[in-house]
Amino acid sequence: MARYLLHRLALGIVVLFGLMVATFLIVHLVPGDPIRQALGGRASPDQVAAIRHNVGLDDPLPVQFWDYLKNALSGNFGTSFVQNASVGELVGHRIAPSAILIGYGMFVAIAIGVPLAILAAVRPNGVTDHSVRLVATLSFAMPLFWLGLVLALVFGLKLGWFPVSGYESGVGGVMRTLTLPAFTLGLALTVVVVRVLRSSLLEVLQTDYIDAARARGFSERRIVGKHALRNAVMPTITILAINVGFLIGNTVVVEAIFRIPGLGSLLVEGVQRSDYQLVQGLVLLAGATVVLASLFADLLQAFIDPRVRLAGR
Amino acid sequence: MRKVAAIALAAMMLTACGGGSSGGGSGASGGAKVSLSKSLDGASKAPACQTSPVTGGTLVYARQQTTENLDTLKLVNGNGDIFASNLLFQGLTRPDPKGTPTVQPAIAEKWEVSSDGKTYTFHIRPGIKFSDGSPITADDVKFSLDRFGNPKINQTLAAVAVGYDSTKVIDDSTVEVKLQFPVASFLYNISIFPGFIVPKKPLEAQGDAFWKKPIGSGPFVLKELERGSHITFARNPNYWDEGKPYLDEVRFDFATDSNSRLLSLQGGQAQIADGIPFSQVNSLKSSKDLTLQTAKVPYFVGLWLNHKRAPLADLQVRQAMQYALDRNEINRAIFRGVGTIPNSQLMALKYDAPASQIKPYALDMAKAKQLLGQSKFAKGFDISLGYPAGYDYYKQLGLYLQNAWGQLGIKVKLNELDQASLSDRFYKGDYDMVFPYSQFTSDLPVPDEYAQFVAEPKSGLNGFFSFWKDDAITQQVRKFVATTDDSARAQQWPEIQRAINEQSPFINIMDLPFINAHANNVCGTDVDALGSDHLEDAWIAKG
Repeated sequence: MARYLLHRLALGIVVLFGLMVATFLIVHLVPGDPIRQALGGRASPDQVAAIRHNVGLDDPLPVQFWDYLKNALSGNFGTSFVQNASVGELVGHRIAPSAILIGYGMFVAIAIGVPLAILAAVRPNGVTDHSVRLVATLSFAMPLFWLGLVLALVFGLKLGWFPVSGYESGVGGVMRTLTLPAFTLGLALTVVVVRVLRSSLLEVLQTDYIDAARARGFSERRIVGKHALRNAVMPTITILAINVGFLIGNTVVVEAIFRIPGLGSLLVEGVQRSDYQLVQGLVLLAGATVVLASLFADLLQAFIDPRVRLAGR
Repeated sequence: MRKVAAIALAAMMLTACGGGSSGGGSGASGGAKVSLSKSLDGASKAPACQTSPVTGGTLVYARQQTTENLDTLKLVNGNGDIFASNLLFQGLTRPDPKGTPTVQPAIAEKWEVSSDGKTYTFHIRPGIKFSDGSPITADDVKFSLDRFGNPKINQTLAAVAVGYDSTKVIDDSTVEVKLQFPVASFLYNISIFPGFIVPKKPLEAQGDAFWKKPIGSGPFVLKELERGSHITFARNPNYWDEGKPYLDEVRFDFATDSNSRLLSLQGGQAQIADGIPFSQVNSLKSSKDLTLQTAKVPYFVGLWLNHKRAPLADLQVRQAMQYALDRNEINRAIFRGVGTIPNSQLMALKYDAPASQIKPYALDMAKAKQLLGQSKFAKGFDISLGYPAGYDYYKQLGLYLQNAWGQLGIKVKLNELDQASLSDRFYKGDYDMVFPYSQFTSDLPVPDEYAQFVAEPKSGLNGFFSFWKDDAITQQVRKFVATTDDSARAQQWPEIQRAINEQSPFINIMDLPFINAHANNVCGTDVDALGSDHLEDAWIAKG
């Protein structure tokens, strides 16, 4: 198991290094000069050149990359010229809303998706099964910005249960301000949970050991809840881990609709202004999160299923 | 209220999904504008605002642009930074908060100008204090103006410090400012952010940290800046204009998404919102709970032409392109009647002559065809048009221009680009035609800034990246910016305006206002001639 983990960890580091190279190249090769863009047309060419020199943008690319790598390894992700603050400080200020939003969205997807999947799998091709799949697919097919606006309109403006936008910290504040965004994010993922879990549950429910359990007279609830679910849940965990990337991407849209001061909106600001340091830092952070999530999923599987643990030996 | 909100939202969704509906059947061209400016008058005459102002309350303002940075010499986030700093700081002079294109005394109570226009003596307002209670002295003024005049420190807008030489402290409350040569717009130049006066001692002691908790002399002080979320201002108890501001607190909620701004306003989370999209103007005009407010500012839809491209360097071609445009139709269909048809190819500026004196280009297809026929490009040509992504009206405008100029045989290829790539190509001169900014505005209400940007080769900006050059106009502009006599300037500028209008080095499609919407009981929300809120006269009526 330890060897397996080490292997995965090493792979993760290689992935992250590749990501650093790729983002560095993309932000530097895509047209757009952060200094000229920040100063606008009004600054003279001399002034632009002077500031480019001050922040090291006139160094050759390999030198700039080496500096970036060196600093990143010591935890320094540079300074955003545009925002006049260090990337670490900017990210630190805005990581909490995004992290909570993604966690809450994941929770919504599981809390809604798992019971629905079970309902659907217990009576395959029944009315419940079809309607569950239909509703879940519909919520997946709706564009996020539209779903978000509808939720804000109905539960924010009409019913007044939640504020239409904004962010407050603290448990009460998070419940008030992040519930609608989390549902917007989570509903889109629910269909993934429903579809994957339903089909693997169906498969497991037809295996011999479930027949054996039935023959021993266990209740259906115990058979599905304990025996079948434990085996069927593996693919769902993998899929959810993969979808962390999907959630991170979607926070960009959801944060804009609900005015949440998170990393998604920070990334948009960075990209629009060619803020190299900021974009590099944020993409690396998102990459690291995805790598860690899949590592965590592997660990969780090993914990749930001894076969995974043993196979790794 | 709810019904209106629902209709507005439905409209929003339609535009969001369909990438913008074309504005068929909405509002008549001229009439809509008149009735709109009347509804602006109605703003201050709203029944709730009839009584005398009351003190207190918090105003929440949903803002299109975020504030990142308050260092007045490093404001790089456009109006998001500038408008916030306008509440915190002031210069010796200030733009009239009520909106006329004039400057008023602020930190300086009065001043004298020498007859050669090169020496200004400013008298600091007696007893005036910074927000921390310390007096504003001549030393603070000299310190601030020397920073303003130093291009190494004044990074964002060094152009307004042109001609600054030095400041001499005469006594505690008097300074003498020397210029290298007469600068006609000097009092305007020091009225905006690079000219703001800051306290010498704390800034020297704290360095960059000063700007996290800055001290100024504006009507408000900074309470909190939460990047990406909001900025909160509290009343400055030491503000020189006694009794003002009326509000205890102002909060700018950053809401870059226009739907989100409108929802905040309609849900009552915000009482005022800026950047109202054109597609929402009509539904908001009919709202009983909200007042639409338009402000005439130097903001235009400027189409920039690259004079390195042979057809665009041809005067007859440019004039033909002007005559092929039906600006009444553009205003009606795309800008919902809020625009003004321009008779200047720059944004609307002080000293502009009225339309009776300098005629706008009117639709005349026969003349357009004739002009193009006389040029070297009689058979037409292929040309590309770049515009910023994410704005439905630029997309609609692009399609309109493609069609209008297509009738002349000019094949326009549309090129929707993200702002970063668009700016990059613009500044490198790697474009044919471009709408370079999502919002193209002047920093000053007077023409001096943009006249020099486009016509002064010494600015190093190559005709503001158009590569246009006209020696006669350059001479006229040089004379204009050095003339300190206001009535002489008022005579000179229309001649320049006329010459640029005839030359059409770039094409002003439409002059636009800034559009706000606010709850009916929010009073005194005038903006200055640059569209910035000062909010010292704003108050919230009861009931």
